[in-house]
Amino acid sequence: MISVPLGLRGISKSYGQVQALKPLSLEVAGGEMLALLGPSGCGKTTTLRAIAGFEQPDTGAIFIGDKDVTELPPNRRDLGMVFQNYSLFPHMTVGENVAFGLKMRGTARAERDERARKLLAMVRLEQFGDRQIHQLSGGQQQRVALARALATDPKILLLDEPLGALDKNLRESMQFELRAIQRRLGITSILVTHDQEEALTMSDRVAVMSAGQIVQIGAPAEIYGRPATRFVADFLGTANVFSATAVAEQGAGLWRVALSGGEPIEVALTATKPLSPGQQLTFAVRPERLAMGSPEGTGLPARIRDVVFRGSFLTYELDIEGRDTPIFVYSQGRTAAAAGSTVRLNWEPDCAILLEAGA
Amino acid sequence: MSQGASDLSLTRRRRKPDLLAWGLGLWVALFMTFLLLPIIAVVVVSFSSATYIAFPMPGLSLRWYARIFEYRPFIDSLITSLQIAIGSAVLGIAIGVPAALWIARSRTTFAGMAANLLLAPLSVPAIVLGFSLLYLLSALGLGISFNALLISHTVVSIPYITRTVLAVYRALPPDFEEAASVLGATRWQTLRHTTLPLIRPGIFAGSLFAVLISLDNLPLSFFFGTAQANTLPVVMLSYMQTQFDPSIAAISTVQMLIAVVALLILNATYGIDKLTAA
Amino acid sequence: MTAVASIAAPAEGAPRKRGRFRLASPLWAAPAIIFLLAFLIVPLSANLIRSVTLGEAAQQPFAYYQKLLFDAYYSGIFLNTFKVSLITTVCTLIVGYPVAYFMVRYAGRWNGLILFCLIAPLLTSIIMRTFGWRVLLARRGLLNVWLTDLGLIDRPIDILNDPIIVYIGLIHVMVPFMVLSITAVLQGIDVRLEESARVLGAGRWQAFRSVTLPLSLDGIATGCTLVFVITNGSFLTMLLLGGGKVQTLSLLIYQQFNLTQDVGFAATMGNVLLIAAMACVALQGRFLKRKGIKE
Repeated sequence: MISVPLGLRGISKSYGQVQALKPLSLEVAGGEMLALLGPSGCGKTTTLRAIAGFEQPDTGAIFIGDKDVTELPPNRRDLGMVFQNYSLFPHMTVGENVAFGLKMRGTARAERDERARKLLAMVRLEQFGDRQIHQLSGGQQQRVALARALATDPKILLLDEPLGALDKNLRESMQFELRAIQRRLGITSILVTHDQEEALTMSDRVAVMSAGQIVQIGAPAEIYGRPATRFVADFLGTANVFSATAVAEQGAGLWRVALSGGEPIEVALTATKPLSPGQQLTFAVRPERLAMGSPEGTGLPARIRDVVFRGSFLTYELDIEGRDTPIFVYSQGRTAAAAGSTVRLNWEPDCAILLEAGA
Repeated sequence: MSQGASDLSLTRRRRKPDLLAWGLGLWVALFMTFLLLPIIAVVVVSFSSATYIAFPMPGLSLRWYARIFEYRPFIDSLITSLQIAIGSAVLGIAIGVPAALWIARSRTTFAGMAANLLLAPLSVPAIVLGFSLLYLLSALGLGISFNALLISHTVVSIPYITRTVLAVYRALPPDFEEAASVLGATRWQTLRHTTLPLIRPGIFAGSLFAVLISLDNLPLSFFFGTAQANTLPVVMLSYMQTQFDPSIAAISTVQMLIAVVALLILNATYGIDKLTAA
Repeated sequence: MTAVASIAAPAEGAPRKRGRFRLASPLWAAPAIIFLLAFLIVPLSANLIRSVTLGEAAQQPFAYYQKLLFDAYYSGIFLNTFKVSLITTVCTLIVGYPVAYFMVRYAGRWNGLILFCLIAPLLTSIIMRTFGWRVLLARRGLLNVWLTDLGLIDRPIDILNDPIIVYIGLIHVMVPFMVLSITAVLQGIDVRLEESARVLGAGRWQAFRSVTLPLSLDGIATGCTLVFVITNGSFLTMLLLGGGKVQTLSLLIYQQFNLTQDVGFAATMGNVLLIAAMACVALQGRFLKRKGIKE
């Protein structure tokens, strides 16, 4: 299969006064799996529906390969799509569902039966061709939906919350299976999800969306490790966000900053952009990057409010003098420090992530 | 597991008889008797051997069923009635279903007005509609004729079909059609392979209603009947006004049997549960 | 590079406006709209004109309406029509509500049988059902024979020519509509609502009165409108039962058309019936809207 790139160039969409999509541009490389991640109403579904041809963007153009498909109806865009609730046709058998796209293209019966069999084998459902849809479990339906979407050898695969209807365990194993099939076929794919774990696990790149635009785009590790804004930091996992004032550079990008609120306490962080003394800034530290030390040591003094056992780790909720929101710390330690005791918080300077002001 | 179950049965207390449930049950039993009794009485009397209607019946016979075939207007009008009922349902489907498909997915004021128009015949008394249409159709040269009957019954069949199709199609997520079109189906292919099969229960339920209403729509039919084309209820009414013999019972029973058989066939092919579940 | 240049034009040009993907276009409704404009709206409008121009109305446009409202005989029929429909509506509600309640809350496996009994009459003609009452209640009908045999009466009672039989016939025809309208709504009411009222200390009757009954009001409204409007328009039961003692507008239209051929007056009565029907439906619509059922 030849992998085809996808290009969104300045597409926007409004419903009445509401701008669902601000002018958005995005290039997806051939064979790449790109996740559109964001809360509901962020514009990710509108983007997907525009690519599919269900919504006509007000401005801009959509390219599949070097072909402008903006004006084409969905049936002439050569797409495969897995819907949130699969939308398998209830009046057809599993095999008929998979062969539907080929039938619409006028493929001969023998050929499309053969193709349907092959695809059902790929998703490990070769015995289920004659079953009715309602006889399948959720996970099986999901795989049929994938087989149906791929049966016509589409140029682009669209996945609209494809695993949202499955329970947690099944979802995790399907993430890997879907990812493996996508890699093997090398099909350019767009995954729409509100589940950050799903986006990070499955995709080559993640585009985090908010209020109709892309706030940050990059590889999963980069998005998680270096969120650009507070929104991204909060949306992907938990982040402890601090406000501070820059004090002085200590060489090689290492800065001393004073935390706002309460007594000015100085901590160190590695700046990813130029700072000047006295500048206001916000930074975030992931809960798993925080370490708790004995109260006699150095670091940020904090009091443990609560400890929650979370299976593979412990979550501590800590109070800091002069701060309303608690600080979260994930710890692998086997013995829990008691609620009410005081500790000192520390982190490596390069674990503090400088966030863009404002957002 | 079985241990637990037997423990449960040992400790279970006898339930107090629920007086309310029993009272309501009795009421419902009386109600069902009330509903069915007149119908059963007609079926029984259709097998009477007497020329008059009285009890006790002197004997049983099929002479009144034979009478149906002797009295031509009964058979002729029954055939006309069936033609009108099925014809108006088919026309109603052809006109009403496409309109319902648009109305159900549109939120414009115009679509709302169209919906009101399509459902309006439901709230127009049939006798008023028949009376008004008679003058219009006469002016168009259709006057009293088979076609006039067909047109007037189609006016009534449209809302019944539209209503159920609207309900079924509104409950159907647009995803199925979107899925079909992403898979390469054109609009017509989507309609033929996806939409129509999925709304078929609604079409059938609506048409079934329309057919049953049409078969019994005397207030509409009696304006348009001619000597050549008259519907069964009109013929039965005029027969009843001169004679009171069991042949009316016999033809009524035949008409009921036709409806029952139609319903059973529909049930066997599509399943009543599918009609209601939709 | 050329590709980028070529796409710049649509992006900056006049914004496109096309709705979302949809199967049907407004054109699909055209046949239905044209058909109903021609064969519903036009004839009903013509009827309206006829009622103020023909016959006696030629001199004085509202002559027929005045006759209907102020002539002692006709105004009596006018009022009687609504009296008959109102009594029928109330009776079907009283008879039908307990049945609907039983079906939804208690019937279980009996539900199918009750549903069958409700739908079975729809498979028969109104003539058959009316005829059935005549068979049962005639002087030598089933009821009189049984009552005489049991020694409860000496001579047959002539119920067939009593106005009450018209109401029995009407209730028989209308009650399935009422029951089906109410069950449709009752089915949507969670039993747990009534149960929570019980837990909160309400008695059985209180729980029903304060929770279930108010929630089922729209079913009652739908059923009542349906029964009232259909009864207004029916004349067969009045024609064949009760010996012609119950006179209503529909029956009068039928008779006017068959005997006197007074077109203008028949048109007037038709309009009055139509306006009454539309008023009922509008009232019901308002009721549902007020309760936020319809969008």
